[in-house]
Amino acid sequence: MAPLARPPFPHRVRVTPAFRPSSLSVPGRTPLAQARPRELWLAIHLPSLLLDSLRDVALALPGRPPVAIVDLERNGKIVRACEEAVHAAGVREGMSINAALALVPGLHALARDARRERQLLEAVAQRGVRFTPRVSLEPPDGVLLEVLGSLRLFGGARQLCRRLQQELADVTGVTTRFAITPSPLAALWFARAGPLGARPVFVRNRDELASRLALLPLDCTRWPERGVETLGTMGVRTVGDCLRLPRDGFARRFGQELLATLDRATGRVQEPRAAYVASERFAARRDLEPEIADTARLGLALAPLLEELCQFLRERGRGVQAIEVQLRHRAAPVTRVRLRFVQPVGAQPRHMAELLHERLAQLVLSQPVRNVRLLSGPLIDLQADAIELFAHDRRESGGNLPQLVERLRARLGNDAVHGLACVPEHRPEAAWRAVEPVATKPRVRRKAPSRSAAPNESSPSVPLLFRWDRSAARPGEGRPLWLLDRPEPCDVDRLVLEEGPECIESGWWDGHDVARDYYIARNAQGSRLWVFRKRRETAAGARWFLHGWFA
Amino acid sequence: MSVSVEQLLQQNSARLWRARETGSSAVAAMPAGLPTGYAALDRCLPGTGWPRQGLIEILSDQRGIGELRLLLPALAALCRDAGAADEIYPPPRPDHAGSAMPSHDRGSGGWIAWVSPPYRPYAPSLAAWGIDVGRMLVVNGAGATEWAMDQALRSESCSAVLGWSNPRDPHALRRLQLAAEASRSLAVLYRPLQAGLTPSPAVLRLALLGGGTEGLQVRIVKSRGGRPATVNLGH
Repeated sequence: MAPLARPPFPHRVRVTPAFRPSSLSVPGRTPLAQARPRELWLAIHLPSLLLDSLRDVALALPGRPPVAIVDLERNGKIVRACEEAVHAAGVREGMSINAALALVPGLHALARDARRERQLLEAVAQRGVRFTPRVSLEPPDGVLLEVLGSLRLFGGARQLCRRLQQELADVTGVTTRFAITPSPLAALWFARAGPLGARPVFVRNRDELASRLALLPLDCTRWPERGVETLGTMGVRTVGDCLRLPRDGFARRFGQELLATLDRATGRVQEPRAAYVASERFAARRDLEPEIADTARLGLALAPLLEELCQFLRERGRGVQAIEVQLRHRAAPVTRVRLRFVQPVGAQPRHMAELLHERLAQLVLSQPVRNVRLLSGPLIDLQADAIELFAHDRRESGGNLPQLVERLRARLGNDAVHGLACVPEHRPEAAWRAVEPVATKPRVRRKAPSRSAAPNESSPSVPLLFRWDRSAARPGEGRPLWLLDRPEPCDVDRLVLEEGPECIESGWWDGHDVARDYYIARNAQGSRLWVFRKRRETAAGARWFLHGWFA
Repeated sequence: MSVSVEQLLQQNSARLWRARETGSSAVAAMPAGLPTGYAALDRCLPGTGWPRQGLIEILSDQRGIGELRLLLPALAALCRDAGAADEIYPPPRPDHAGSAMPSHDRGSGGWIAWVSPPYRPYAPSLAAWGIDVGRMLVVNGAGATEWAMDQALRSESCSAVLGWSNPRDPHALRRLQLAAEASRSLAVLYRPLQAGLTPSPAVLRLALLGGGTEGLQVRIVKSRGGRPATVNLGH
């Protein structure tokens, strides 16, 4: 964390602290070194997470009944959260649902959904990523952002909080409370304790922490209930009361754990936080009004979504390898258009739009589209490309081949484009293979081109009698340049057999065994053909087949 | 008038092609082509080789008469050129960190695109001709052959683009010719013989006739800067 060259505003100097530090707090450290924090944590607390996570469910209920969130525990339904109106009627957390129903007869109970709560929390964390790279989750209802480096960029803490609030407003109906302090735990405590005033708590200096924390009630620490109760009976009700207790006695009675949390909250001990790594994908939708029936305008309608996706990728410095466009119609099932990229693609809206346009042009819409969604595949780290210093020829580096392949595939389909590779195999149809055009094979040695090309040369099944010296022949003599995918029956009577036979008998181990005598033949038109005769009689009758052309 | 024509001839003798003039001087004036590998054919082509810019049409109805062999020496030469570039600018060694992924920028030469070939280009045979099989791009154009060729020509990642199609639309052919003119790739379009009856903007049109005992006959139907001729390439 680079220290700020000049703090944006002068340190607050407290002549008489509201609370005099005693044995538990940290006495007389060197003030200046301590005053400048190395970290500043912004805590986002979601006080009504349970309600917020089920808000859309509650809103969808017919007649909008009053709602309480219940937990299925201890053989009964226990109210965990409720709306304000229900609260006003006397329903409290921890009540059984029956008691609550007695108070509010029309109450609708919703079971809490841990998965939804987690999703909402992550949605908040993802908004936080826009403000700082260091985001940490504090389940179930807290998110921490380290914002020291971001303060200047966003124009101070107040501005930052306002911007954050705006961003979080997108996350449907979530209520948040903020606090900023040098220690993450203290920030959480402040945020949980609620706004003491209208503004979020902002503690910049670590020296101030102990004195500011002192006023907080012990509930916000979320210590075990028993411990808090015992402390309560001793008259210890605030964090400040705790700090005033002797350290060793406190540790003995309540455990090292609690002492450690106090130390972390006051910043006496640094607290390492696990960083939140977004396992996120992009998803956005747009309703089309009016509905769109032609694909060209569809491309235009998708442009803002692509721009949004690119902004999303830019913020994270990552790329995607696949995107999907879903077109929703009024009655017909969803039309899905998937694009796969050869290389991970970063924020390149034009490239994506181009490919998408190509793909959309192929589309036949059965019905007008009323709504489009754009979804990304998993995010992929982009590799930084080195630029060639002596760029000889762009063409020779094959640099834009991936783009070409993508463009071709976008229109013609994934299987329509492939590369070639040789396979050392006697059966002619198995001696080549379609490969990804990017995965280039080692180049054929130029010294002895005919060696690699004629795998049958050393084949024991070639009768020596008929082996001709291929090194003396012109290269490529033994094999045709065109191969038929499926050998076609042919009429051998009209052909002149010029060379052969070359016997190929192989493949008994994988069930596709062949036993053929290959001949090079010429027809009346002067074409040269590669034909073979099956060595074993087959029921099908035909024995001679055309397998290639010497083009 | 005649004086000015004389002047013109003197001033621009290098740029002006005179039909009467056969052989060396006119041929030498054309930009050098890519040697075809067949000396007899080279002699008949302006630039003594395949034109490097502009569309080449090969018209043929027959298979297996040597329609691909006609091109292979030139394609092999393109692969060799690329290999030579490799030695000057060696590609990153595979044991380098981060190159476990298939690398796209392996320094070697341009790709050869096969757009809608009638059969499978047979890799072992191509390799035997000295062609880098790892740099073949086979595209099944299915009705969009000209478009795919156009894309391949424009991308500048291919040193040769071969296509099999018979565009009915003269505009499609024109577009292809323009793309071939603008690109540095060898652009070859295979069409049926019948297409030779309609005009084409291609810079070079060859009709192939197999048959008989004399082997492959190449008839130069049209050659910008050259003259019609017939070459017998034998078997």
